[in-house]
Amino acid sequence: MGRRDHRGPRRPQRRKTVLRARGEQGRRAGPAAESFRCAGCRLDVPARAVGSAHRNHCPHCLTSLHVDGRVPGDRTSDCGGRMTAAGLFARPDGEWMLIHRCASCGELSANRVAGDDNALALVRLAVRPLTTSEAARRTLAHL
Amino acid sequence: MSNTEPDFICLHCGLTVSAFAPDGDERDHCPSCLTSRHVHDQHDDGVSDCAARMTPLSVVVPSDGRWRLVHRCVGCDELSEGVVAGDDSPLLLMRIAVRPLAEPPFPLELLGRV
Repeated sequence: MGRRDHRGPRRPQRRKTVLRARGEQGRRAGPAAESFRCAGCRLDVPARAVGSAHRNHCPHCLTSLHVDGRVPGDRTSDCGGRMTAAGLFARPDGEWMLIHRCASCGELSANRVAGDDNALALVRLAVRPLTTSEAARRTLAHL
Repeated sequence: MSNTEPDFICLHCGLTVSAFAPDGDERDHCPSCLTSRHVHDQHDDGVSDCAARMTPLSVVVPSDGRWRLVHRCVGCDELSEGVVAGDDSPLLLMRIAVRPLAEPPFPLELLGRV
């Protein structure tokens, strides 16, 4: 594994007061809703996630919901569209981040992966640039 | 970059870049170091007054199979996305594309057993 071992003790994740937005499932149950329904695969997802205090995407199909504006957790967007996972990148400390694109308005957002995210879906997303044969072949041919 | 300035100078490497790529697409990043500049805002769908440098972050592939490059603003952390031009540095592009696979959060060998 080419994993880096300079991961020092990291600052604990900030607590946010997460509000429920229009279009967000579980809204009627109030801020302390136990679970939400995935907009992509209809899985009933428990709100508690492993390794993350703020679950914002489905662990099975990685789909999210467009409820936040500029600041994560601010719930100021009135789009409410489905956000599909478009790509991945690795933070300097080695942690993977997901890039979501709103299927309704095209906006992008970056989110941490959670500990119980579908590993197969994550790796499929990571190798996606290499499996789109034409673009990858052209890039490799010009190396 | 807007049409009123035909060429622009890269904020990172100082290269003078033509506004259009050889395949006719309008450029939004430097072909040499892939750095962009924050001029479009994805929230208000208009012009951003940030104008800070944007570093290349990730390669995403929509359903049409063309690579698109996602940038993040150094100044305000906004994301933007643009098409990959034909003369963009292939080495840097491939580096960005395979970077997550070099640091997997779980052992990739175990995937064969899933």
